[in-house]
Amino acid sequence: MPNATDHEGRASSASARAAASAAATRRLLLVGATAGALAPLATPALAQARPLRIGMVTSLSGPFAALGESMRAGMRLLLAQSGERFADRPVELIVEDDQARPDDGVRKARKLIGQDRVDLLCGVIHSGVALALRDVVTEAQMPTFLLGSANDLARKAVSPYILRPTKTNWMLGSTAARRSHETHPGARVVTAASDYAAGREFVGDFVQTYQEFGGRIGRQFWTPLGSADFGPLLTAIAAERPDSVYVFFAGSDAVRFLRQWKEYRLAGRIRLTGTGACFDQEDVLPAVGDAALGAVNTFHQSPTAPASAAFVEAYRTSGKGLPGEFSTTGYACGQVLRAATERTGGDPTDWARTRQALFDAPVDTAFGRMPFDPRNGQAILDIHVHEVRSAPGGVINTVVHTYPQLRDPGPNA
Amino acid sequence: MKRNIAMVALPAAAAAAAALLADDFVLRFLAEILLFGIAVMSLDILIGFGGLMSLGHAALFGGAAYAAAIAARQWGGDVALVLGSGIATGMVLAALMGVVVLRSGHLFLLILTLLMGQMVWEVAFHWREVTGGADGLRGLPALSLGPWTLSTARALFLLAALLAAVAFVVGRSFVAAPIGRALVGTREEPIRMAALGYSLFAVRFRALVLAGALAGAAGALFPFVNLYVGPQSVHWTQSAAMVIMLVIGGIGSLWGAFIGSAVYLGIQTYLSAYTDRWQLCVGLVFVLTVLLLPNGIASGLRILRDRLRRRGA
Amino acid sequence: MPDFLGYAAIQTLNALSFSALLLLNGLGLSVVLSLMNFVNLAHGSFFLMGSYVAIFWLGTGAPWWLAFPAAFLAAGLAGALLERFPFRHFYARPHLMQVLLTYGLSLIFADLMRWGIGAQILLPELPGALQGVVFILDMPFPVFRLFLIAAGVALGLLLWLLLDRTIWGAVLRAAVTDRGIVETLGIDTRRVFTVVLVLSAGLGGLSGALGAGMLAAYPGLDEEVLLLALVTVVVGGLGSFGGTVAGALVVGFALTFSKVWFPEFANLAAFAALALLLLLRPAGLVAPPLRRL
Repeated sequence: MPNATDHEGRASSASARAAASAAATRRLLLVGATAGALAPLATPALAQARPLRIGMVTSLSGPFAALGESMRAGMRLLLAQSGERFADRPVELIVEDDQARPDDGVRKARKLIGQDRVDLLCGVIHSGVALALRDVVTEAQMPTFLLGSANDLARKAVSPYILRPTKTNWMLGSTAARRSHETHPGARVVTAASDYAAGREFVGDFVQTYQEFGGRIGRQFWTPLGSADFGPLLTAIAAERPDSVYVFFAGSDAVRFLRQWKEYRLAGRIRLTGTGACFDQEDVLPAVGDAALGAVNTFHQSPTAPASAAFVEAYRTSGKGLPGEFSTTGYACGQVLRAATERTGGDPTDWARTRQALFDAPVDTAFGRMPFDPRNGQAILDIHVHEVRSAPGGVINTVVHTYPQLRDPGPNA
Repeated sequence: MKRNIAMVALPAAAAAAAALLADDFVLRFLAEILLFGIAVMSLDILIGFGGLMSLGHAALFGGAAYAAAIAARQWGGDVALVLGSGIATGMVLAALMGVVVLRSGHLFLLILTLLMGQMVWEVAFHWREVTGGADGLRGLPALSLGPWTLSTARALFLLAALLAAVAFVVGRSFVAAPIGRALVGTREEPIRMAALGYSLFAVRFRALVLAGALAGAAGALFPFVNLYVGPQSVHWTQSAAMVIMLVIGGIGSLWGAFIGSAVYLGIQTYLSAYTDRWQLCVGLVFVLTVLLLPNGIASGLRILRDRLRRRGA
Repeated sequence: MPDFLGYAAIQTLNALSFSALLLLNGLGLSVVLSLMNFVNLAHGSFFLMGSYVAIFWLGTGAPWWLAFPAAFLAAGLAGALLERFPFRHFYARPHLMQVLLTYGLSLIFADLMRWGIGAQILLPELPGALQGVVFILDMPFPVFRLFLIAAGVALGLLLWLLLDRTIWGAVLRAAVTDRGIVETLGIDTRRVFTVVLVLSAGLGGLSGALGAGMLAAYPGLDEEVLLLALVTVVVGGLGSFGGTVAGALVVGFALTFSKVWFPEFANLAAFAALALLLLLRPAGLVAPPLRRL
């Protein structure tokens, strides 16, 4: 039954807002409505506006632990910069660990929705968790900012309760093919990727776009997720003698691949292009260093794009290194949440109104200007082409080109 | 007699109270605990009674979950269909596994079950057309029983509680029956059992197939709690988690399995909101259980009860 | 044709270098298992600890080759402490209880290491001498991998000599077979077992230090290498030195050539091959003459 009271609470707070424009009256009614929904919990909060509760599901253990910590750090940095308040309303962030396991992610999301009574839900790295959450948050009518990047989230699995302030895999795969064609037309490209959903999408979109441009694709190599030894793969690539290779690996796979890429002396002999995650500024490049020099990748996140400069500076002064994809994602998601709260006068829980407010005008984030596509709630993003160059103290993803305002083909694709 | 009544009445009353009082989230959580409890209990039959240390049990549980989810997407969520396909899959996978692993023992069995389980994982992970690959399967229909739809948390919980009760009775009957005694015999005195004319393989094989049926039944309902099934549910780490639950709860008691799954999932769900170090806590609880209560919380409770009774008498 | 020969040669060397890593990794586990009948699932923690020690050592700029003894000593010390408590009390317990205790400990160590070091992925700064490459029939092969193969062979030989050809090894094997008799000869068998455990943990740390150059170091690596070590030791046949060598070669070649021949089904093919092997030889490749019942 708590769901029903929850909806009543939300509905009456919505009607209250429509009836009264004076802030004082609204607050009074709001307090009344939320107090009804949360009678046993909310006593101390009665004195002032109830804090905005944001639930975050991310991976703090398991294979994506480092990424999840970055996402949380990015979000916390934004909250700290905002004085822990959005639109003058105190914000409370509750972070739950999904271990990169869909079943655990679903249970944690249900806990945030059912027990912690969060107003907004955000997070998720693992696409499986994101897809599993899709039906759960839709059923619970929970406003969710979902940060997984499977193409389906902007296509078959679109939900009216989900907004996606991040990339889809298609955006990166297709731009990489475009760039390859523009700079080296006619080159013969082989692909190598981890054999799971994300790898299949990146490589599939790359191959499709590259072939549409008339490019030549050689062999496609797949390796199991979590490969200990890339020697056999690298030897096979060397024997193919392609002009260039397009790769997707993440985390420890990326580190091992790049280190061994250098050890097998393929660096310099074969052009290396790939997905940004394989050259993540925070997760991968500090470990591999100059082994990645000269590689080209496409990414929506960049430590050298003008839009992210302020965030990069703030993140570095908070005692960390250069930010990578997920710290920026956490921060940008916070910026979107803040914009949503500000544009709705401190109460983003009236979801139809919040969605519309975000569709009406783009949000300025660390990913650049971010409009949302009303068809699927998917962000429209600038995609940067990076070359890994040396910099003081390491190597850095340097923007060499930008494809502005890329829009996923969406539900009709 | 009095004890038997208490054994039936207490859990029934607890389940009824939970169904009436708990909220949606708690009911689903309890359903999950009960379903894992059933799977862990079936593992207890293998480890606690047969001495067969398996690291591939999640393959039976998760394999059945996939089968039930695929069947439901194809033909709708009828409970009989879902349970039937899950149980059948669990038994078939257990039989296959049994043919391969049961001629070995000890660590060889551990590694063979691990290899078999990971082979199932590889299939679930790579057969994208059928299993959805790494992304898993979603978009499941609601469970239904005749004209009724069982999609609410309360209905799922009651269904899981009923299944747990049935599974517990089946498990107890099995270990109390001659075949169950024989299973203990094959663990304690394999050579004598063979000399007595028992086929070690046949006894163990039956136990494994029964465990597969129980784990399969639990696995069949599991996707409907989360409206999702993915490859993690067949991964060996899930098998290892089941072993942890079993040890915390108590090896060889059957009902300890439910306590173990409650403690493990409770720590994981509630502690992780307060500290990033929850895995340290799981490890500590686990090691302390092994050191102090080698037979798990179940035996601790039993000792406590005996003491209280003695004092009362 | 030379193209194909070079390709085959390099893939064989790839398999050999991976086998060498598996051997190093498996030896420590195999030593306690075969000599003390003790299953130590915390072995992966020693490996990861050794990796971290080596990475930090190589980062300081101290003489690089000392990183390996440092990793050996650090992990060996950890092993010595653990041997005092609680391992010692579990030598006589059934395998199941040993498995549970040490698995629980490995969970604790994994989280402690993550707490102290963080979740990021680390790679060691290899010295220039190990960064080179040799060309074999026109195909490049990293010097570091040759170093791994050499280290595997050298350590394997050393250990075999120690256990099979010295009086100390004889005492050890005697203590395993009949502890009582050895005690009556005035030898403190408890100390013998301590030494074995320290040796095993140290080998784990050393192999972690050597393996870091290939595998990197991050939370979760402990579990991955533990599984590889277990499979290696069990496939080889518990309790014999030759078995572990055979197991490392079989697993290394199976995992490498399954990637070469069936890249999309690499793990499935390798697992199936290993399961089939265990089905045909239920006691492993090299079954020791004496089996406990």
